Amino acid sequence: MFFHIILERNMQLHPRYFGRNLRENLAAKLMKDVEGTCSGRHGFVVAITGIENIGKGLIRDGTGFVTFPVKYQCVVFRPFKGEILEAVVTMVNKMGFFAEAGPVQIFVSNHLIPDDMEFQSGDMPNYTTSDGSVKIQKDCEVRLKIIGTRVDATEIFCIGTIKDDFLGVINDPATV
Amino acid sequence: MGRGRDMDDEDELEEEEEEEDYEEPMMMEEEEEEEEVEERAGSARKRRRSDFIDDVAEEDEDEEDVDDDEDDDYGGANRKSKPRKRPGMDFIDYEAAVDSDEEEEEEEGEDDFIVDGGTDLPDEDDGRRIHRRPLLPREDEQEDFEALERRIQARYARSSHPEYDEETTDVDQQALLPSVRDPKLWMVKCLIGKERETVVCLMQKCIDKGPELQIRSAIALDHLKNYIYIEADKEAHVREACKGLRNIFPNQKIMLVPIKEMTDVLSVESKAIDLSRDTWVRMKIGTYKGDLAKVVDVDNVRQRVTVKLIPRIDLQALANKLEGREVVKKKAFVPPPRFMNVDEARELHIRVERRRDPMTGDYFENIGGMLFKDGFLYKTVSMKSISVQNIKPSFDELEKFRKPGESGESDITSLSTLFANRKKGHFMKGDSVIVVKGELKNLKGRVEKVEEDNVYIRPEMKGLPKTLIVNEKELCKHFEAGKNVKVVSGAHEGATGMVVEVDNHVLFIVNITTKEEIRVFADDVVESSEVTTGITKLGEYELHDLVELDNRSFGVIIRVESEAFQVLKGVPEKPEVSLVRLREIKSKIEKKFNVQDRYKNTVSVKDVVRIIDGPCKGKQGPVEHIYKGVLFIYDRHHLEHAGFICAKAHSCVIVGGSRSGGDRSGDNYSRFGSLKAPPRIPPSPRRSPRGGPFESGGRNRGGRGGHDALIGTTVKIRLGPLKGYRGRVVDIKGQLVRVELESQMKVVSVDRNYISDNVVVSTPHRDTSRFGMGSETPMHPSRTPLHPYMTPMRDATATPIHDGMRTPMRDRAWNPYTPMSPPRDNWEDGNPASWGTSPQYRPGSPPSRTYEAPTPGSGWANTPGGNYSEAGTPRESSSTYANAPSPYLPSTPGGQPMTPSSTAYLPGTPGGQPMTPGTGGLDVMSPVIGGDHDGPLFMPDILVNVRRAGDESVIGVIREVLPDGSCRIVLGANGNGEAITAYQNEIDVVTPRKSDKIKIMGGAHRGATGKLIGVDGTDGIVKLDDTLDVKILDMIILAKLY
Repeated sequence: MFFHIILERNMQLHPRYFGRNLRENLAAKLMKDVEGTCSGRHGFVVAITGIENIGKGLIRDGTGFVTFPVKYQCVVFRPFKGEILEAVVTMVNKMGFFAEAGPVQIFVSNHLIPDDMEFQSGDMPNYTTSDGSVKIQKDCEVRLKIIGTRVDATEIFCIGTIKDDFLGVINDPATV
Repeated sequence: MGRGRDMDDEDELEEEEEEEDYEEPMMMEEEEEEEEVEERAGSARKRRRSDFIDDVAEEDEDEEDVDDDEDDDYGGANRKSKPRKRPGMDFIDYEAAVDSDEEEEEEEGEDDFIVDGGTDLPDEDDGRRIHRRPLLPREDEQEDFEALERRIQARYARSSHPEYDEETTDVDQQALLPSVRDPKLWMVKCLIGKERETVVCLMQKCIDKGPELQIRSAIALDHLKNYIYIEADKEAHVREACKGLRNIFPNQKIMLVPIKEMTDVLSVESKAIDLSRDTWVRMKIGTYKGDLAKVVDVDNVRQRVTVKLIPRIDLQALANKLEGREVVKKKAFVPPPRFMNVDEARELHIRVERRRDPMTGDYFENIGGMLFKDGFLYKTVSMKSISVQNIKPSFDELEKFRKPGESGESDITSLSTLFANRKKGHFMKGDSVIVVKGELKNLKGRVEKVEEDNVYIRPEMKGLPKTLIVNEKELCKHFEAGKNVKVVSGAHEGATGMVVEVDNHVLFIVNITTKEEIRVFADDVVESSEVTTGITKLGEYELHDLVELDNRSFGVIIRVESEAFQVLKGVPEKPEVSLVRLREIKSKIEKKFNVQDRYKNTVSVKDVVRIIDGPCKGKQGPVEHIYKGVLFIYDRHHLEHAGFICAKAHSCVIVGGSRSGGDRSGDNYSRFGSLKAPPRIPPSPRRSPRGGPFESGGRNRGGRGGHDALIGTTVKIRLGPLKGYRGRVVDIKGQLVRVELESQMKVVSVDRNYISDNVVVSTPHRDTSRFGMGSETPMHPSRTPLHPYMTPMRDATATPIHDGMRTPMRDRAWNPYTPMSPPRDNWEDGNPASWGTSPQYRPGSPPSRTYEAPTPGSGWANTPGGNYSEAGTPRESSSTYANAPSPYLPSTPGGQPMTPSSTAYLPGTPGGQPMTPGTGGLDVMSPVIGGDHDGPLFMPDILVNVRRAGDESVIGVIREVLPDGSCRIVLGANGNGEAITAYQNEIDVVTPRKSDKIKIMGGAHRGATGKLIGVDGTDGIVKLDDTLDVKILDMIILAKLY
């Protein structure tokens, strides 16, 4: 799920960036530092949409670095248990398949794939129904439900299932 | 064993009794169709068999491990058929003989064994006979022992413990309990370790004295030291009996055992093994040692269990045996476990009979006396030959057991196993559980409290009481898909992962790091947010270590198993994984190497590379290990081999910049540096962001060690793989020099001979120093005009040397290849001002010395001379240098004078360079060095800042320099303010700017005035007023003129 929230961060800025462009530098550095990271609490920071407020800088003794408390608005993405997501299959193997929904990696175990789909090894490993009408392979888009998340300081990993109504392949570029 | 058999027979008494049992019926097939094949149907047959089935029995012997336990048990079993000896038949006689001494049964067992003589047991014996008598008469009438056989079979088949039928009922047992009328049991103290001996003595005494001895029995218990029990009616009898025995102290108190406790004395303390059907056990001995077995039947009385096993039978051998052929004795060979295939057996002409077990109604295949069902072997063994505790069947084993039936029974069975293996504190508060038995089956809940065996749970379902108390045995842990769990027991102990599927009580867990799937019992798992990959360390090797294997190959540990490692070998062509035992690993490779990628970029550990060739083309990731030109790359998207990919260095390209430098010195600077794309940051600022306390360490070391002067110098690598790189020496270790590469932000080790330090690198150095000056504060004083001669009382923070040190270096006069001999003119022409501040000059300026005497020129001449003795300078400069340190050390920058001279020692160091280190080092030093000494002497008419205590500095003009070094200063920029006297340490020279009028405070032009027409770093371009010459002078010696 995406959220637009305000976060705060203390930025350390090297004295070399002081000057007229300090704010710009600060913003640039903030984006560099924050976008694409993942915090266990808020999920992935997808984009910074604006800077709310830059507090007073504090010069650090010894280094000359200055710490600014910066409040910024950003879009975060955090997967939740039970959430339905659309994801792109990135890898298929006999244990199941991996899919990515943006920065989140989701694993769908073969236990969580409908029983009528069987693993076909080969050049392009895939899961296929017995009648061959549905095929899950790399680059397919699937709709899945997250049944478990594992949130680390730097990574979010999910386990998903497609063994439910209305879940499964929604678009297969290979057939289009 | 003394069973009244001859020696041959004894050998045949084998572990596989039941096998023998089953052979027996074969011999008498014609009359035994209706006969059960149960062993317990009567050990009578057993006896008989040992006589007339010799041939078969003999062949058995090669398969057998004779075991004491078994034998004991055998005896025990036989004992129970004791009553049958009455008929006086041959085979029953045997039996009587056999059991007489082999008792291990509870009450009778014990006293039979130890009791002296048995002469004095009338009461008890009688009691027993009474019980048995009813059986006897009927048996007596039998004439035909085959008919008898049948009858016995028929009778005992119905009950698994024939003779104790009556006794086992509670009432009967009660009747046997001692009452007040029975003799009492007395506890007598004896010598430790002599308990048995004492009892034997009593027995002897009894034999000798006959009825005189009024005690009934004497008992020594193995587990009770220091005491024996004596059964007697009166204490006096006991005393009488004990009189004269040397192991019993005559005055010891004799204690009466209370009636209630009497039975305890003689009951064998059983370990209370709760062996029930469907429990998993392991065989302890024999062919099936270590094999998993499942209990199908338990005979508690006879301490025997029937277990179901996967047979390990070599059909061919069996066939040979049955046909009476010679069997090669091969003890070591144990056939692999395999289900019995009846058809196969028939093909080998092994007789397979199908019989119905009259008790259970099941059909068994009987092959060579062994019973099979569904391919399993059903075997009856002694309880002692199986281990019951801590059986943790692996999934493989369970799988095998499940195979033929293919029914879901394994879950139920595994449940019972789980219960058997539960530890204390199995359930914890907060655990999610499910009820597996009873009325509440399938109720889910959370554990609230655990009390002994009872667990208080809060059911999830509504409409139920808040808390339910459930027995632990009725509960099982419960997990839902998506939970993060950790395995806390069993084969996968320590593994973590996320539950992907729950199949009854089996969980499928995917480990997030390795993406592997494991199966575990729900009971072995706890909820946890931890992430591990299972065990990560074995011996001294850890997961992801690069190791050298025995056979000169190497690889990365990608998985640690309980006994071995999986190693991805360093073979780039195709991924090769081998299972390596701990001892097969020779060593851990910890050396860090650098290699070059396809485009000759240096790749070091942690650099991100992309594979552009080979099977893993397109993969990308950080390099984890480098060895012998092979890279081990970790790609987290690569699922095989724990994400490791092995590739040749030249089939990879480095992506982005090298990271290693930044990683190594993780200071703010380098982090910042990484913001900028090119890592080309001049070394010194990074190393000493604050002006060089580090360097000062290096410097001092340089001074001390003498030959370490190379440290801090900029060198060029002229040989080897890094040829052409330039860098700064950061450390010297023997023959190896650690060079911080300018272009790579990392430190490499190179052979000393591979470097050439003739890189005069004026530019980088100047840059460096400028950077240093950029940080201003410490540098500022250094700009103060200085003159060594006149600096007795310089401001402590002033560091005049700083820039001066550098000057000569830039000067062409310093070109090593320029002959140095006629220095003077050269110098004066070239850069007269510079020598005033040159390092040599300064050292030559301790107050004790006359400064007028050594001309600047000579000072300079000294320098090169000192460095290059071969240059042939007339002076004995080296000695000057050698001496130099001692007087100056306190006041000169640490070891500075040493530097040049010491460099001269360096073999292969090209001539002119030795100065470089000195200067190079010094400029970084300056802020630190500055503290300790003389600054320039001020001159009248220059503009200065006066710092007064508590005030801000005030600008002023020096009017007069007083003899004591203090100055008379008129405040105000125009010299019209208040006049004060200030000490030199309160005065800072105002640095002139471009176009300012200046006064030169040092050097040959001291006192001259001029105009600053330009500033180039630390140098000022000055046009002298009187001669109109343009000179380049150090800014330090320039002061703004009022």
